Amino acid sequence: MIGDIYAIYLREMIRLKRSKVRLITTIVMPLLWLGIIGNAFNSAFQSSMKIDFISFLTPGIMVMTMAFTGTISGITTVFDREFGFLKEMLVAPVKRESVLIGKMLGGVTQSIFQGVVILILGLLMGMKLVNSPITAISGMLLTMFLVSMAFVSLGLAVASKMSSMEGFQMVMNFLIQPMVFLSGAFYPVKSLPSWLKWGVKVNPLTYGVDAMRYFSLGMNEFSIWLDLSVLVAFSFILIAIGSYAFRKS
Amino acid sequence: MAAIETAALTKKFNGFVAVDGINLKIKKGELFALLGPNGAGKTTTISMLSTLLKPTSGKALVNGHDVVKEAAKVRQSIGIVFQDPSLDDQLTAMENLDIHGRLYHMAGNERRKRIREVLEMVDLADRADSIVKTFSGGMRRRLEIARGLMHSPEVLFLDEPTLGLDPQTRRHIWDYIKKLNREGVTVLLTTHYMEEADALADRVVIIDRGRIVAEGTPSSLKDSIGGDVIKISCSKPEELKKAMEKCECDITSEPRITEEGLVINVKKAEEVIPKIFDISAKNSIEVKSITYKEPSLEDVFLHYTGRAYREEEGSEKDRLKMRMRVMRGRR
Ligand SMILES: Nc1ncnc2c1ncn2[C@@H]1O[C@H](COP(=O)(O)OP(=O)(O)O)[C@@H](O)[C@H]1O
Ligand SMILES: [Mg+2]
Repeated sequence: MIGDIYAIYLREMIRLKRSKVRLITTIVMPLLWLGIIGNAFNSAFQSSMKIDFISFLTPGIMVMTMAFTGTISGITTVFDREFGFLKEMLVAPVKRESVLIGKMLGGVTQSIFQGVVILILGLLMGMKLVNSPITAISGMLLTMFLVSMAFVSLGLAVASKMSSMEGFQMVMNFLIQPMVFLSGAFYPVKSLPSWLKWGVKVNPLTYGVDAMRYFSLGMNEFSIWLDLSVLVAFSFILIAIGSYAFRKS
Repeated sequence: MAAIETAALTKKFNGFVAVDGINLKIKKGELFALLGPNGAGKTTTISMLSTLLKPTSGKALVNGHDVVKEAAKVRQSIGIVFQDPSLDDQLTAMENLDIHGRLYHMAGNERRKRIREVLEMVDLADRADSIVKTFSGGMRRRLEIARGLMHSPEVLFLDEPTLGLDPQTRRHIWDYIKKLNREGVTVLLTTHYMEEADALADRVVIIDRGRIVAEGTPSSLKDSIGGDVIKISCSKPEELKKAMEKCECDITSEPRITEEGLVINVKKAEEVIPKIFDISAKNSIEVKSITYKEPSLEDVFLHYTGRAYREEEGSEKDRLKMRMRVMRGRR
């Protein structure tokens, strides 16, 4: 069982290592976000809050990137189906669950790796951690794991229902992007008009961003226990849906 | 114990019967071919035998294990080369085989040893570390065969192993298939190339529209339709057919009119052809051409189904017919 999961996982890691484009975008995109937006708004931001904008923005960019990467890693199952490798896995004497877990862990690893790259970039550009490094890093890793797990599962669920790449584009544009914009990743939620606040509150990503800021900066809108409960519940629901959809397909 | 045994194996897709009560018995060590046009149900049969599809009804044993109840045991004991490519083309040849070995629970040193062996067998040892994306179609096919053999299965399924390959590459693949069969692997091969079944198989089953229409060794099948096959292209095939039915010559089965003209099976063509000229002269039928040859598997197919076997053109038509049957089935 462990060996089977590892075989599937190993393949995902080799593929990740091979795809230079993906690795480069991992670094370049957040660099642009942090470098341009972070600097442009810094002075205006700092006068109204006690904190600099890079520190505020980095956790948001991390969560945003992980939501995108996690969902996209679900695409690999569509690729597998199109290019036939899925058959190779399904005809092998391994359980469907092993294939599923191996794929999920592959996606989660990739997603967390991206999160960590952005954290390092943020720190290099002047992000200040308020909590002790141990608390900050372990808390952020936990949050990253939960967020990644949820979105990888979402990707898997979507992948097993869709047969084309256009479908994926739709999900990214009409589901993931609105979630990111309504999560407080780029601005304090407080500044939103109240009619938009309900959208923020029902958005699970809000709690991911909030938990991330709690662990790194010690600032939070909601209690950390609410953040973590929502994330755990959200992950579990999506894992259930994702594995059900994967096994059905 | 037979390597593969099926009883009334059937698969329906929404009421459309793709495989219709197939009975097979394949001995250990045999090189067995499932021959039939596109849409005959070959891939569906292989999918059921390899546990990818559940039969609608009937039973199948592979290496003595039931494909439904003991799927895991069946999977461990078979190798398969799918009709459609299934390599990971971002990985190297070696990595593809290594992952495969892991999925089949092979130990590390065993994997390394076996990778070398199977790559050598298909002459790809020097490309072990190349990424599969850089491989030609023939090389990919060879690597897929190597991968199917990696975990030393007792039975190897090959679904149209030479589909779309050029004649020279095809001949190479044939050589590998013969070689591994000599080494004791039972092979079940599907093909819609008549000459492939003829060149490779110890035994052939011809399937058409999900049913077995004929079974035997290639030569026994050809013998079963008897002697030679004469094809006559003429002005009034119907009249000639009637006249020939009355003629006192050694006709081994009822003459048939096909797209290629009148087809007659006879014991000895040399004796019958002069009579054909006489008869057509008497009935003022204009003969455009007469050809005769020893029967091929094409003729066997024609004999048992009443339809000419056309690899490409025929397949188009078959697909259309299938679709229409599906639509009718839904009503
Ligand atoms: N998943 C499926 N759903 C519906 N019809 C199918 C499916 N798979 C195969 N068929 C139909 O079953 C018939 C047999 O297909 P197949 O086994 O692929 O034939 P072959 O491999 O001999 O060309 C075809 O008419 C095909 O359209
Ligand atoms: Mg087929």
